[in-house]
Amino acid sequence: MPCTPHEHLCSRRAWLGATAAASFAASLGPFGAHAVAEQAQRKSKQVLFIWIDGGMSQLESWDPKPHTRFGGPLRAIPTSVPGIHFSELVPRTAKLMEHLAVVRSLCTKDNSHSAGVARIQRGDPKNRGVTYPYFGSAVAKLLGPGESGLPPYIWIKPGSGGFIHQDAGLLGPKNGALAFGDGQPPENLLRPDTIAETYDAERQELRALLNQRYASQHRPTASEANSYVYDMAHALMKRQDLFDATRLDPRDVERYGSHDLGRHMLQARNMLEAGVTFVKVNSYGWDTHHDNFNAHMSLMPKFDQAFAAIIEDLAARSMLDNVLVIALSEFGRTPRINGAAGRDHWPEAWSAIMAGAGLRKGLVVGKTNDEGTFVDSEPFDIGHMFHTWFTALGIDPHKTEYNNHGQPLPIAHDNCRAVEELLA
Amino acid sequence: MLRTTLLPCTLVATLVLACVARAEQPLHQQIDAQLAAHAGGPLNGPAGDAEFCRRVHLDLIGRIPQPAELQAFVTDSSADKRAKLVDALLASSEHPTHMASVFHVLLTERLGDHELWQAWLLASFQQNKPWDQMVREMLTPHLEDDPARGAGLFLSKRLENYGENPVDYPGLVRDVGRLFLGVDLQCAQCHDHPQVDDYLQVDYQGLYAYFKNVKLNSGAKFPSVAEQPLVSKIEFQSVFLLEKHEVALRIPFGEEKMLELFEKGQEFATPPDNKTNFPGVLKFSPLRILANDLPQANTPGFSRNIVNRMWWQLMGRGLVMPLDWHHTDNPASHPELLDALVREFTAHEFDLRHLVREIALSDAYQRSSTLPAGADANEIAETSYRVAIEKGLTPEQMARSLWTATGPWSDDKQRAELTASCVKSLALPPREPEVEFAPSVKGALFLSHDKNVLQLLEPHDGNLIERLTKATDNGANNAAAIEEAYAACLSRAPSAEERTAVNAFLDAHASARAAAWQQVVWAMLSSNEFAINH
Repeated sequence: MPCTPHEHLCSRRAWLGATAAASFAASLGPFGAHAVAEQAQRKSKQVLFIWIDGGMSQLESWDPKPHTRFGGPLRAIPTSVPGIHFSELVPRTAKLMEHLAVVRSLCTKDNSHSAGVARIQRGDPKNRGVTYPYFGSAVAKLLGPGESGLPPYIWIKPGSGGFIHQDAGLLGPKNGALAFGDGQPPENLLRPDTIAETYDAERQELRALLNQRYASQHRPTASEANSYVYDMAHALMKRQDLFDATRLDPRDVERYGSHDLGRHMLQARNMLEAGVTFVKVNSYGWDTHHDNFNAHMSLMPKFDQAFAAIIEDLAARSMLDNVLVIALSEFGRTPRINGAAGRDHWPEAWSAIMAGAGLRKGLVVGKTNDEGTFVDSEPFDIGHMFHTWFTALGIDPHKTEYNNHGQPLPIAHDNCRAVEELLA
Repeated sequence: MLRTTLLPCTLVATLVLACVARAEQPLHQQIDAQLAAHAGGPLNGPAGDAEFCRRVHLDLIGRIPQPAELQAFVTDSSADKRAKLVDALLASSEHPTHMASVFHVLLTERLGDHELWQAWLLASFQQNKPWDQMVREMLTPHLEDDPARGAGLFLSKRLENYGENPVDYPGLVRDVGRLFLGVDLQCAQCHDHPQVDDYLQVDYQGLYAYFKNVKLNSGAKFPSVAEQPLVSKIEFQSVFLLEKHEVALRIPFGEEKMLELFEKGQEFATPPDNKTNFPGVLKFSPLRILANDLPQANTPGFSRNIVNRMWWQLMGRGLVMPLDWHHTDNPASHPELLDALVREFTAHEFDLRHLVREIALSDAYQRSSTLPAGADANEIAETSYRVAIEKGLTPEQMARSLWTATGPWSDDKQRAELTASCVKSLALPPREPEVEFAPSVKGALFLSHDKNVLQLLEPHDGNLIERLTKATDNGANNAAAIEEAYAACLSRAPSAEERTAVNAFLDAHASARAAAWQQVVWAMLSSNEFAINH
């Protein structure tokens, strides 16, 4: 559906905020939005996005360089795919390499946290004076909530929760994240004790009756937008079990780990099973300027445990075909070891690990030089990753656009392209 | 030769005649004539009395009508009752309160608040202060001992630090352009605007010059900013081109104003006093010059912006959309109408109340929002104004309407908590203009489960739930109570089907009448019909 001059006159939220269905099509610009939605939703693509805040060391994870100048004290171990080695700190993940893909040739631009976190999660598009959405908001917008009706962008994080509108950037606050602080439900999600389930069902029925009458007499836009959020709230209320730790299988709790990341990852698995389109899980505390090796010896096993557990589960449930799993930081860490036995920020050459949604399995893309200081193959920026991920999700990054005030905007950096080796 | 001299004369004569003819017609009739001329299809009939009564209460005093107000209006048989209601609402003490809340959101975009700012807003609308004067007061740096000193919040809030971020001067310049002139110059900061030919880098930079040496006067006990002398022009260069430019003071699209320089130490007419946090008065004060020069009829966009925003406020859609996107390639849907509104607004000395009144008196405002039978909504463009456009209730309208529907209540603290919780749950985050109806999951959960909402459904001292419960406890008078519930919550009578359905529901819950009424009333308050100003 081409943009008409009339659409160009609408304000941005007229197409982006008004309703899920109606505005969805308009916001995708000149190309077939419906086709994208239908195609993508038929396959029910989902994303698990694990954000390792502060900067995981590639040398102590996916790109070890033992016995070299900057290699550090840790060994490398073989993975389940011959010829590919990981750090000894990730033994469980190493056994699952046949499901995974690693990129060792990331070369990005920012070496500060404050700029890097946002730049990486926004895909570092060309600066056009607009704020791009985080990957979660982008996918939520482009794929929608799917059949579950659950909010499409859920963020499980330590600390406080809430509605994080800022992630949505130009897509408008509606496409922000619904954040569960320490996995707890958002305010007002739980029905107060005074409202019994049947009582609530009855009052909802009365409400539906009124809405039917109103809808039959008015334009659909406003009432659909309002009904949509009630439906989504209702879908979420019906899944209060997702927040009930007492319902978890103790064996799962043990496999994932009882630490924050383990608990949050297990909750993420349940959210994905429930049909949430995009689940982000955060792990904090990776900025190891001091004592990098002891810090990674403490952090990596928790990551390894939780990550391996969810990959196992997604694979066992045949969900890995449709769920794109990504784990990365805002940058890697310097090969050079500083005076405090730490590693500093290093965007020049670092790694990310991913799996699922049709990405090729059991491979490493790109390499760094012998000392791990620079990329020794074609370097990939975060824009290349966004192209790759969108493509894996069935969203053609060359044909899909955001529409900002009538200004068509590419969803991923226009100078980048998908990494073909990763795509099956 | 003859042609070239005669033609302009004839044109001018025709134009003058046209203007005179138009000027004799009240503005609301001009509105209707203009819209009818470009409707492109049949116009919807007038809203029913109840529909109009609800809409005009929400738009002019910020809440739905009470059943008695609705009843009085519906049963009034005088021919001019709509005009009388418009005038009564504009004269009511609730009108300034509502306008203060509307302008608080428009001007601060929920960046922050201050009791003196609220007092200034309220007093301004109580006095029906002309818009040019309000803008002048907002742009004046420090209004010590002046009753208008709360107005300084417009600037002071935008000159605060947010966390570790530096003061957002580009944001301030952008907001002055957006909110007072209807132009978003953000993308013209570093180069001429890439999409909008009218927005040049010099427009941004010239406006920035007024604020370059302004900072928050944080010591003052009221919202205040301080100014240091501006001693040189702003130098700027496009990131795309190497040419260097400079500009002194320049209101966008206007004439440049040269700087007056004074010897060091001689810049202040009244010097600053650190002890009293008095920031001083400059002999050459860019901000005072802006406060004087910007709110003028001949400043491009000054009247157009506010007229378009008021039109949007009442009609649900600006003649120019987006509201801060006035430029040649984005013309108004009805350019002549916008011109007529601007002319009248300027001729009436920037009188907002007069403008609101005229719009509210128009047939266009009073049209029904109900789609004509068999009509395809997609065929009736909003820009045609053939069918009244629905608007979302603002968080403030929602709070006041919930309060009105379920009352009477008397606890001011409860009321304040309800308003605060509505704003917290229903408003957009700061800096997000509340232009479109943007409901959220958060808001739905709030209206479903929050204690501040559920409290309104507790029977109490003659409030709605108690009245309804008492009326139907004996099983006697369901019909009258159902009427009352519909009037109180939805400002209309129930349809025959609704009467039957609610009656059946009450009968099925005869043993728990209060609870049943809570369910019915909650359903009404959480319905789309309630959340929308239709």
